[in-house]
Amino acid sequence: MTVAVRIGVLKLADSAPVIMARQQGLFAQYGLEAEIVVSPSWANIADGLAWNRLDAAVMFAPLAMMTALGRRGPDTMLRPLGRVSRGGNTIMLRGSAPVRAVWQAGLAGRQAFDVWRAALGRKPRLAVVHMYSTHLLILRRFLESIEVEMEKETDLCVMPPTDMIHALSEKTIDGCCVGPPWGTEAELLGLAFQVGGSATVLPNHIEKILVTSGKFSLDEDVVHRVSRAVEDALSFCQQPEQAENIARILALPVSEGGLTLPVGATRAILPGGGANDVITFTGGSLQLSDLDWIMKDMMVLGWLEEAGRKTLTRLFGSGAAETTHA
Amino acid sequence: MTEGALSRPSLKVLVADENPKRGYALLETLRADDSLEVLTVPPGMALIEAVRLHGPDVVLVDMERADRDALDSIRALSGSALERPVALFVDEDDVELMETAFDTGICSYNVVDAPPRDVKPLLRAAIALYTRFHRTRNELTEAQRILAERSMIEQAKRCFMKNEKASEPQAYRWLQRRAMQTSSRIAVVAADYLALQRKDNAS
Repeated sequence: MTVAVRIGVLKLADSAPVIMARQQGLFAQYGLEAEIVVSPSWANIADGLAWNRLDAAVMFAPLAMMTALGRRGPDTMLRPLGRVSRGGNTIMLRGSAPVRAVWQAGLAGRQAFDVWRAALGRKPRLAVVHMYSTHLLILRRFLESIEVEMEKETDLCVMPPTDMIHALSEKTIDGCCVGPPWGTEAELLGLAFQVGGSATVLPNHIEKILVTSGKFSLDEDVVHRVSRAVEDALSFCQQPEQAENIARILALPVSEGGLTLPVGATRAILPGGGANDVITFTGGSLQLSDLDWIMKDMMVLGWLEEAGRKTLTRLFGSGAAETTHA
Repeated sequence: MTEGALSRPSLKVLVADENPKRGYALLETLRADDSLEVLTVPPGMALIEAVRLHGPDVVLVDMERADRDALDSIRALSGSALERPVALFVDEDDVELMETAFDTGICSYNVVDAPPRDVKPLLRAAIALYTRFHRTRNELTEAQRILAERSMIEQAKRCFMKNEKASEPQAYRWLQRRAMQTSSRIAVVAADYLALQRKDNAS
């Protein structure tokens, strides 16, 4: 029997496995009729899972964790189905680059920051896509590595990745930590230069995961079918020889099954591409070792206390074999 | 104004809807209640900036606004200029209300420590209005579809009349007959006929 499934994604290149699973007929192969909901914001994804308007979604782990704990909205039954991607985030700054390379940790990085800030003439305004994002954690770690205090020496703001290009060109932000392909697109457009990213700050860190919610997550057969379809798509997306085709599909309008992503930047950040921070599509169950650094950083930032960490360990640990609920 | 309303402190409501017609209609609806102070997001201003500017008690947001993420995570903003917490209005006892709100494309945030008493009626008013707009939009889409189909049938008839030296009733009867034979709608037959003509003209 064919089962309908609604999967939420954002306009990001690491949504590719879900887009390609549909395009390649993988959902249909596993008896699934997938409706892909391209959402305007992460809040829409989290609310969709909470209010039974999405069955599954691709999202970053910190938001999934805070949603499961009921810390951003309603207490939501969430079940992590598996990994989707590693890395791919870029830290971009606008203005003149003091050095023609990613910034080195320690004093050299600090000096580059000071030169850049002096030329900017104001306290840097840096954007991330959501507060509960890996982007914020990566940005904070990067700034710490060059001896810059994020909270004191920068102003943080939140905006959707697609808006960052415009904000950089209008100089309403001075930099950002953003998911693929938007950092590379900013660089190709000459709006910003890269100073760091996933590969330099925390190589191979977990980025996107697939989560499911509500009644849907209790049906082992359906959950298994969704996982298999996405696993097959992950293997497909990880092949460099498929990158041209995937970039072309992702560049299509949403009405034609794509995400309207810029094709050149998308090609550069897919496996085999020439960008510094290419995405690694990775399958398998989510492990606690994937989340250790996230939970540690969340505790440092005061988002999580010991009791919350223990709850998350129970909910998201051991491949999250059981349905999770805070 | 009733005596109860006089003694009630005014509730500041910020309406964030990028659809001008719907936003205006919602403002008008809410402004009819003089216990409310109703505010809007100035054009070009981010939602979070408008919240900082107005300091509302409640924000009603069109869910299509991508900058909702900024409000979503205000609590995590270290050193935020906005000292008051922002929380998604969640009514555990009225899941249906929240699901309906989500379906119609609106959500509500509290910008005060304790949820204001009057959020539910505001949300219900917004839901009713959004539903009306949704229905009107569907009706408009349907009307446009009917017009487009009529235009296509007319075009196919003219084309058939020219090709077959036929009269208008003959052309229409041919389309009707073809529709019956293929169990299709006349509009579909007309579209197929026009597509075939274009192909013939191109070759």
